[in-house]
Amino acid sequence: MEQFGGHLHPLSSLIREAGKIFSGMGFTLAEGPLIETEWYNFDALNVPKDHPARDMQDTFFIKDEQGMVLRTHTSNVQVRYMEAQMKKNILPPYRAVVMGKVFRNEATDMTHEAEFYQIEGLVVGEDITMEHLKWTIQTFFSELFKGTQVEVRFRPSFFPFTEPSVEVDMRLTGISAPEKLRDTWVEMMGAGMVHPQVLKNGGVDPAQYRGFAFGGGLDRIAMLRSGIDDVRLMHSADLRFINQF
Amino acid sequence: MKVSRHWLSKFFDAPLPPAAALADALTFHAFEIENVEKFGEDDVLGVKVTPNRGHDCLSHRGIASELSAILNLPLAHDPFGQTPQLAPATNAVSVAIHEQALCPRYIAGYITGVNVGPSPAWLKRNLESLGQRSINNVVDATNFVMFNLGQPLHAFDAGRLSKKAGGYKIGVRRARADEGIEALDLKTYALGYQNLVITDEDLNRPIGIAGVKGGMPAAITEETKDLIIESANFDGVSVRRTAAGLKLRTDASARFEQGLSPELAAWGMEAAAALIIELAGGTLEGFVDQYPVPQKVSPVSVTLGQVRAVLGAGFDDTDICKAFERLGLPYTAESECYTVTPPPWRLDLAIAEDLVEEVARIAGYDRIIPKPLPPAAGKPELNANFYRAEEAREALRLKGYSEIYTSVFAQAGERAVANKIGGEKPFLRQSLVPGLLDALKANVPNKDLLGLKEIKLFEVGTVWQGGKEVCMVATAGEKEEAKETPLERFGKAPDQWAAYPAYVPPPAQYKPFSRFPSITRDVAMWVAGAAVDPELVEGLIQKEAGELAQKISLFDRFEKAGRVSLAFRIVFQSFERTLTEKEVNEIMEKVHAALKAQGYEIR
Repeated sequence: MEQFGGHLHPLSSLIREAGKIFSGMGFTLAEGPLIETEWYNFDALNVPKDHPARDMQDTFFIKDEQGMVLRTHTSNVQVRYMEAQMKKNILPPYRAVVMGKVFRNEATDMTHEAEFYQIEGLVVGEDITMEHLKWTIQTFFSELFKGTQVEVRFRPSFFPFTEPSVEVDMRLTGISAPEKLRDTWVEMMGAGMVHPQVLKNGGVDPAQYRGFAFGGGLDRIAMLRSGIDDVRLMHSADLRFINQF
Repeated sequence: MKVSRHWLSKFFDAPLPPAAALADALTFHAFEIENVEKFGEDDVLGVKVTPNRGHDCLSHRGIASELSAILNLPLAHDPFGQTPQLAPATNAVSVAIHEQALCPRYIAGYITGVNVGPSPAWLKRNLESLGQRSINNVVDATNFVMFNLGQPLHAFDAGRLSKKAGGYKIGVRRARADEGIEALDLKTYALGYQNLVITDEDLNRPIGIAGVKGGMPAAITEETKDLIIESANFDGVSVRRTAAGLKLRTDASARFEQGLSPELAAWGMEAAAALIIELAGGTLEGFVDQYPVPQKVSPVSVTLGQVRAVLGAGFDDTDICKAFERLGLPYTAESECYTVTPPPWRLDLAIAEDLVEEVARIAGYDRIIPKPLPPAAGKPELNANFYRAEEAREALRLKGYSEIYTSVFAQAGERAVANKIGGEKPFLRQSLVPGLLDALKANVPNKDLLGLKEIKLFEVGTVWQGGKEVCMVATAGEKEEAKETPLERFGKAPDQWAAYPAYVPPPAQYKPFSRFPSITRDVAMWVAGAAVDPELVEGLIQKEAGELAQKISLFDRFEKAGRVSLAFRIVFQSFERTLTEKEVNEIMEKVHAALKAQGYEIR
């Protein structure tokens, strides 16, 4: 019997595919540290000091390192990215996508993991509107779920770092849509127009530029796409799972 | 928050649409709906109020106001429609606020000669529809007003407070480190400087935990005759910390921690006093209102140009005016600039973008039509780390390694997290190798099931060593030493014209696998000649072995003296239980018998 090639983790495959789709739309891949300052993870994103998300049970704080946390979202890269560009004297337009590990200090179950992966997009320019946001997300899902009809809708929501803020739902139709996803609206992401204070914190003038941002769980997208019922499988290191992909 | 459709209907003259339509209206224009449940004839909606609207929408009035705007139904009976009248004033009660920043307003209402008793059916029903227990007419009245208007209230038994020079004195101060209080839940809480308390000022004794829960020392009983009603405003952060610290989150604290408008307190007091007198009788002696720094309301402006710059050119003057009018936001318009003076309870409207959101919500986000991004200026910058990681994955995958993701948490390391639930493995890994070796050990028993000769694993992941956060590439296998290389030393640095790997595995559908251990058996046989198709033999084995045979594979074939030897490996596994050697042996005997019946010679 022959030893076949090994297998990529399904999250790596998804990251690779998403990277290709966004590169094709002119996005650069950006990154940021996993141990992060409270400034980039919270304050710079307009998350006030007394916000419940900053309570002990949600965030991992680093021991004996005041003001350091394990990042709770990939949004920490938003201000870092803008700041880095401005330091290099590169003015908007910006298009960046971030994919990486994030952490939440909570008990794990079939749908919750303390360590999981997120995707985050950031677009800044002089004439960026919510119409572009809707198109970008729709294009991404249409590419990811090629061969199916993809619809995207927005619902009102709240995030401290976007205004207005929306939840993004997706619906797939057509025979090649995965059965569990077919003809139902599924919540996929959070999104919105970058809050002027966040642009300012990144050194970008909100009077001249606007932007949008979106973010969601990559584990969740992979699970929906492949009909995976337990997020813990993603981080199980079990080849009975991984070698199916 | 639970919201009763029946309760909501009291705000309107027009009939309300059915619950499903209310749920849809809220979902697409305001808040997510968690569920809709029946309560008798009534429908109760679980509304997930977003944190930016907790100050005005954790109430039936708040939700009714949203529905009024969304459905374009006039809010015919708006309790905030008129300025509250807190008259007469009384000298019988005084209030001393010692922490102005933590208590911007305190209104006390003094009512004498009430009859505490059961609540009327309508009130019980309303509270029960929200999952609340009816207690008595006085307590129920204060709770009703909270769920109706969003202002938490509390009633003290004045008869159990000290009275000096003909008056009661309420104090608001920080607790002392040695103080405690028995709260209405009959538990005793140890308090400290971080907790704000309500006191019987003359006795200097706590009678309530401010904004969280009342205390037993002044609890309402059936004997209560005289009441002091509290309608106050407490600092949200302070209440949240106290509630979290005491592990005592209440309907009152959940509202105060949103940061409420101090103006609400007056409406709350007026409504509570009126309802208590209606239900429990008594005489309204009067009010005392400590409100030294009234809330300032600042106007907010937005232009049509700003609305279009955010939402798109499809939005016009009508959308803006319609949204503000329906939401009851007073505004003026001048040359395409709209200036809103938010009502005091709308604390969320501070910048132009907040107004843009109101326009978008009321018009509906379906009005936003997707529009392609302008063409990108040139090729996006290549990310060297991502490129190297992808190259590493490709190289290792092609060499037969499978990729795993393991936890960053470890038994040892340079850095650790301070607050891990359960406290296990608080360290951040210094190396990928221990996790990789654990995974290797866990995967080896499944080798036959996986159809592999050897388990080979790799991981690309972050470690923390030498004071730095570094990305590493590590490999491990049964027949090799585990190895780890920093990503930056793996492969070549890309030039700007390189491309990320093109290969993307096609998306597969996951098939659940059994978590029970497997048992492997081999069977080898001589068959007559080369003409025998191994697939036919495999089919025969499958038929005899049944569905417990998870995997059958030909692992050896050779010819000798005109005869052919075939060897198969069979992996048995059940989805329901651990198989025994005995039952697998029995199955194998059947397999052997069937093969022999074909004239094959078992080796």
